[in-house]
Amino acid sequence: MKNKFYTYCLTSLFATSLLVSCDDELNGLQPFTEGNPETFFNSVSSFQNGVDGIYSQFWNYYSSTGSGLQGIPDILADNVILAQTGRRSNEIYYDYRYNPNTGGAIPLYWSEAYEAVNAANLVIGQIDNLSDGPAKDNILGQALAARAIAHFDLARIYAKIPTQSADADNSLGIIYIKVEDGDTGDPFAQPARETVASNYAEIIGDLEQAAQLIGTSNGEGRLNRDAVYAMLSRVYLYNGDYQLAINAADQVTADIVDANVEGALLDLYEDTSNQGVIIEWSVNTTSESGFNNVGVLYSQTTAPNTVSEYVVDYEFFNSLDPNDLRREVIQYDATNQGNNYNAVRKFLGEPGQVNGRVDIKVLRAAEVLLNKAEAQFELNQPANALATLDILRDARYSSYTGGESGQALEDAIQWERRVELCFEGHRFFDIKRRGEAVQRSNNGDIQDGSGTPPEFLTLPAGDFRFQLPIPIDEINANPNMEQNPDY
Amino acid sequence: MRAKLAWMLTPLLVLCISFSYGQEKTISGNVTDQSGLPLPGVSIVVVGTTQGTQTDFDGNYVITASEGQVLRFSYIGQKTVERTVGASTAINVQMEEDAQALEEVVVTGYGSRSRELSTSAISTVSTEKIEAFVPSTSVDNILQGQAAGVQVTAANGRPGQTAFVTIRGVGSINASTTPLYVVDGTPVNSDFINNLNPNDIESFSILKDAATVSKYGSRGANGVVLITTKQGKSGDARITFRSSYGFGERIPDPFDLMNASQKLEIERQYAELGVSAAASMPGATADAAERARLISLDTNWEEELLRKSQIQSNSLSIAGGDEKMTYYLSLGYDKNTGIIDRIDGFERITARINTTYQAKDWLNIGTSLSLSRSTTDLPRDRNNVQNPFRAMYDYNPWEPLYSRNPDGSIVLDDQGNPVFNPTRSGFPIARALTTEPEDNRNFLIVGSLFADIKLSDKFSNRFSVGATNNRFNRTTRSLAGGVLNSIVGDANFPGTQTDNFSNTLQYNVNNLFSYSDTFGDYHNFSASFLLEYNENIYTDLFASSRGFPSPGIPYQDVAAEATDAGSEEERRILFSQGLFVDYDYDSKYILSASVRRDGSSRFGPDNKYGYFYSGSAAWNLSKEAFLEDTFVNDLKLRASYGTSGNQNIGDFNYLNLLQFATYNGNTTAIPIGVGNPNIQWESQAILDIGVEFGLFNNRVNGVVDYFKKNSKDLLLNQPLSQTIGDEDNSILANIGEVENSGIEVSLNADVIRAEDFVWRVGGNVSFLDNKVVSLVNGDDIISGDFGYNILREGEEINSYYTVRYAGVNPANGEPLYYDLDGNVTNEYSASFNTILEGKSPYANIEGGFFTSVRWGGFGLRADFVGKSGNYILNFQRQEGVSIANIDSNLRTEVFNYWKQPGDTNVLPSPLYQGTADQDSDRWLEKGDYIRLRTLTLDYNLPGKFLDKTGIDRVRLFATGQNLFTITEYNGDPEIGIGSAESSAAGTQGFIPGAFSLFSYPQTRSYTFGVEIGF
Repeated sequence: MKNKFYTYCLTSLFATSLLVSCDDELNGLQPFTEGNPETFFNSVSSFQNGVDGIYSQFWNYYSSTGSGLQGIPDILADNVILAQTGRRSNEIYYDYRYNPNTGGAIPLYWSEAYEAVNAANLVIGQIDNLSDGPAKDNILGQALAARAIAHFDLARIYAKIPTQSADADNSLGIIYIKVEDGDTGDPFAQPARETVASNYAEIIGDLEQAAQLIGTSNGEGRLNRDAVYAMLSRVYLYNGDYQLAINAADQVTADIVDANVEGALLDLYEDTSNQGVIIEWSVNTTSESGFNNVGVLYSQTTAPNTVSEYVVDYEFFNSLDPNDLRREVIQYDATNQGNNYNAVRKFLGEPGQVNGRVDIKVLRAAEVLLNKAEAQFELNQPANALATLDILRDARYSSYTGGESGQALEDAIQWERRVELCFEGHRFFDIKRRGEAVQRSNNGDIQDGSGTPPEFLTLPAGDFRFQLPIPIDEINANPNMEQNPDY
Repeated sequence: MRAKLAWMLTPLLVLCISFSYGQEKTISGNVTDQSGLPLPGVSIVVVGTTQGTQTDFDGNYVITASEGQVLRFSYIGQKTVERTVGASTAINVQMEEDAQALEEVVVTGYGSRSRELSTSAISTVSTEKIEAFVPSTSVDNILQGQAAGVQVTAANGRPGQTAFVTIRGVGSINASTTPLYVVDGTPVNSDFINNLNPNDIESFSILKDAATVSKYGSRGANGVVLITTKQGKSGDARITFRSSYGFGERIPDPFDLMNASQKLEIERQYAELGVSAAASMPGATADAAERARLISLDTNWEEELLRKSQIQSNSLSIAGGDEKMTYYLSLGYDKNTGIIDRIDGFERITARINTTYQAKDWLNIGTSLSLSRSTTDLPRDRNNVQNPFRAMYDYNPWEPLYSRNPDGSIVLDDQGNPVFNPTRSGFPIARALTTEPEDNRNFLIVGSLFADIKLSDKFSNRFSVGATNNRFNRTTRSLAGGVLNSIVGDANFPGTQTDNFSNTLQYNVNNLFSYSDTFGDYHNFSASFLLEYNENIYTDLFASSRGFPSPGIPYQDVAAEATDAGSEEERRILFSQGLFVDYDYDSKYILSASVRRDGSSRFGPDNKYGYFYSGSAAWNLSKEAFLEDTFVNDLKLRASYGTSGNQNIGDFNYLNLLQFATYNGNTTAIPIGVGNPNIQWESQAILDIGVEFGLFNNRVNGVVDYFKKNSKDLLLNQPLSQTIGDEDNSILANIGEVENSGIEVSLNADVIRAEDFVWRVGGNVSFLDNKVVSLVNGDDIISGDFGYNILREGEEINSYYTVRYAGVNPANGEPLYYDLDGNVTNEYSASFNTILEGKSPYANIEGGFFTSVRWGGFGLRADFVGKSGNYILNFQRQEGVSIANIDSNLRTEVFNYWKQPGDTNVLPSPLYQGTADQDSDRWLEKGDYIRLRTLTLDYNLPGKFLDKTGIDRVRLFATGQNLFTITEYNGDPEIGIGSAESSAAGTQGFIPGAFSLFSYPQTRSYTFGVEIGF
């Protein structure tokens, strides 16, 4: 019996010693691979991590293989046509059959752009953890500019653009979230939509402030002074502030790439050169080889076939000037299931690749020239406009006639814009902001114009579908959120 | 240490040493039961020695002993008999039923109790029901239809796939609803239980009501499944070898796909009508010669992509023991190739040793250890042709497996191998299966040891430590030159590979100190105090590389460059104390109570601890005088009420967190979500009232239970405005309440109990009802992966929420829908989504029944399972008839579209593709079915054939699984996972059985085997 008792004491001791420290274990457990957003931002480098986090959110929605903003605005317009032998991805968008429940681009942009805004506000709200100086200014400048760009994307996608129609300014805008104004901090907030005019005022406000703070060079994939002014030239143009657009364009120092230099233009799209690229969301194809391949929006290659989702519209391609040096980056001959197609060349991959994984080209120097030329034309400065346009054309044609005036000049500016920026996510917005209609040609998808023409040929000017619907999840979660008309 | 060594060696010694004793002689005899029928399997030991044997099938035995020694005869349910060996060499024994022993002992959690004294609703499932299944079937699938109140939905038909098990309905919305699995006292993650060898299982004990689940506190809310593995029994070693072989196949669809000529014809018809997508199809463009060529290529893609699976199983067990120790050893090997051609399927090797040893008269120690290694390849389970189960429906029948040259010959590559046809889809799945391999390996160790210390007659203590450790390895490759590598790979670095490694260690230390006493003659009292510590440590590692010299070397050492790597760790801790008290008055009136306090690392500082309690009572009416000597052998009323919790949510949801990743090679820090410091346990209260009875000499027995289970403080993702910028646009908060209630009936009867003929029937059925009681601010929550389910107060949980289809306009073939006001319109809008009251993915009636006949050596047993009242969105049918899918193969019913005014009972005219293909309740179908789950015929060779062979028992058997199904569903109604990659189990929005979308289908199988015991 004594022996038994002794054993029991030993067992109890063993059990107790195992269990006694349990409460400490329980209370001491902390996250292993996550950080604390209240304490993490305490140095320039940690703030730069935060800013790079904002860029990564842009990357998410611009590069998405199913819904990237790099390509959807072209699919929503007239530069491309659905290839019948593809996977028919984004057909709902191509045929304008989207509604608030539609998946893909509609919920993606709304959610991801606001995540970029949130990430930016996290940085901006704690910026005073850094001591004053250029390093702090540069962080704040990047974050402000990024916040403006995210809101600008939201505004042009889900709301009218000021120049689109007379009623645009006072129509439903998006919600501009600024930490300085106390817009953050309450996860249960249910904000209501502001007006387009107030959105653009705040976008411009952030960009102008950023321009005063940001550094001139932050490395690839990040915003800098040129990026802010280039974006300002676009935003002013969208807002009808033509002189300001010209002024901003003049602040941009980056040069356009000269297509007359053998291979220079292709280098740009194959990411061996960044000449002429002012804003891009970049991918490190070595360490980030699992990241999105944006080219999948247009095609995937299973040698010897190219399975194109969307190919170059027959009429658009055949309207290209034979002397246009951009033809080599616009189109390549592709076949699938015995059909020949004009496949989209721009996002095929880095040199030698067909995997579609390249940097996102958001804003290039060529666009700044086009913004400026259009603004000059709008201000009735045709000579200036023509001169600006010719800077670009000199670098894009082996030879051209030029010398247009009046309507012909306006058409030339717009044609140049369409060709220069095709497939890069501009066309829908350019048609929309100018209050025009999407007018597709009635040709088929095959290279010779045969095949199946688009089901939906015309989206009339003023149609409600120019403003994508607010996603249903937002409507459900936020009773103050008003849906766009007619959805 | 010496003692431990001896204890480990004893099993070996038992096998090797035979004792010699005085004037030994051979004694033989026959053992019968009360009614004089031979009793096989009676254990006979010579008391005080290790010598023992068992009776054969005819009740005969032979043993050597000396005069004066005592033989002990024991058998479950019979009184143990002892006979002293005298002069005679024959000892025949007639055993007597032991009323006490007949009272089944049920494992109740932290101990066991006789069923008579249990106050709890517990279902048990025993070995014989397990044996009929294909051995690669995960043990949770086996529970289907076997126990009242247990709802089992097979996840899909992939070999080795676990099932979705809920006990008494859906008690949570976001937290897991999987019960807690405890194997021999050790909690085992439900993901790993497919690595248990079903042949090792003695019984399942399923705890359903508060009287027992409250003892498991914060892990008890979903019920508890206690798995007890086999132990040796004293007596001679019993060696059992079991081997079976069989094959499986896809259960045929109740509809037809088009063949080549039909498909070409529908393309022609569509094109003629002006369906633009059909215009470029060969049915529209081909001339007569081309058409004939295509028809000659007619391909049945199911035959090209699938095959008959091979199912193979071998197992060996050795069990025995003596007075002081018992042992059970087993080995198992199982293989199921699965029905997808060109990949390997599932393979598992298991080993187990269970021992107990009476080390001192006051100390009993024991250990159990199981090792299991399984390998499986995981085909893509997604909604496109990268999934062979979608591809076989999608690929056009006029496209052959291999590409053809213009002259009709098969295209060969440089090596002379046939080139797989990329088909119109651009993706040759038959090739991708070999060029995109994914290989998973699991190595699971489940081990425990215990020490039972008897301190005095009244005090005892059990200390036990258990651990499970699962090592998971996965190798995912895209081979150079393979299908995906050429699409998304890097031309300069052909071939990619990712290796994942993860280790999940869960250990559990507990100590149970018990006291029991009897006051007066009738007052029996016992109490136990529990201390328990449970920690779960998960670590993982992965690495990716690209640029492989040869597909034959699947190791990253040879790769040109590493592209990615990572590691992480997760932990959670649970620390608990509990007090359990039981009282009974002469076994007539029984009271039990429990209280438990749990501390969990998953909650913030203010909400770390929770209390869970229960109280229960039972009345054994059959013990009362007025029921004595009546046809009522057993009658018990019982009731219980208590609480339990659910903590199956992610870690650190109470904190705001930053996530680190990269952008352009630089580190990023982004906010991943809004934490909620106030979250705490989901809590649950169950009321249970039950009656158990045994009538007519216990030939009829049954259990009826009524329960009501209220689950409150449910952790719901409260949707947030996306303008907040939260990663998943929601915040977790304790806001919901749901209620499940139901009646469970199980009944078994021995219809005929004659000497040579026994016919037994039995079954169980659960009637279940559930509703949402409260939600955040009373607002609906749209749920499900595609937003086609809804949580609304007062309605069934996850009721369907979609547009109502109003049929086809007979005048013009246009599809019609109901708008929100109930008006019929020719427009379709997602804003017409409406709740479909009473239609949800959950069944209201679920159960199973069996009938078994034993005649001489022959046995025939059929087990049926079924359910009723659930609905399934049949997206597979939608894909098979959608007008836009004219570029893929279609079901033959597509020909039945509207052609002329007045047509009714038709599909919409193809001209209305835009509105016709839309999601609506047109695709919502009843999921009712009854399925013959297993049918087993077996034959036990009569003992006379086996005399002198040294073999005790030979059993031959043939089993068919899923042989037939009665259902109106357009497809196979057993659906758990709709599409694994768009809605994995455990992800937000996942609802088992909500829709079908080309996951691995169920299979039916035929296996034949033999079992030999000696």
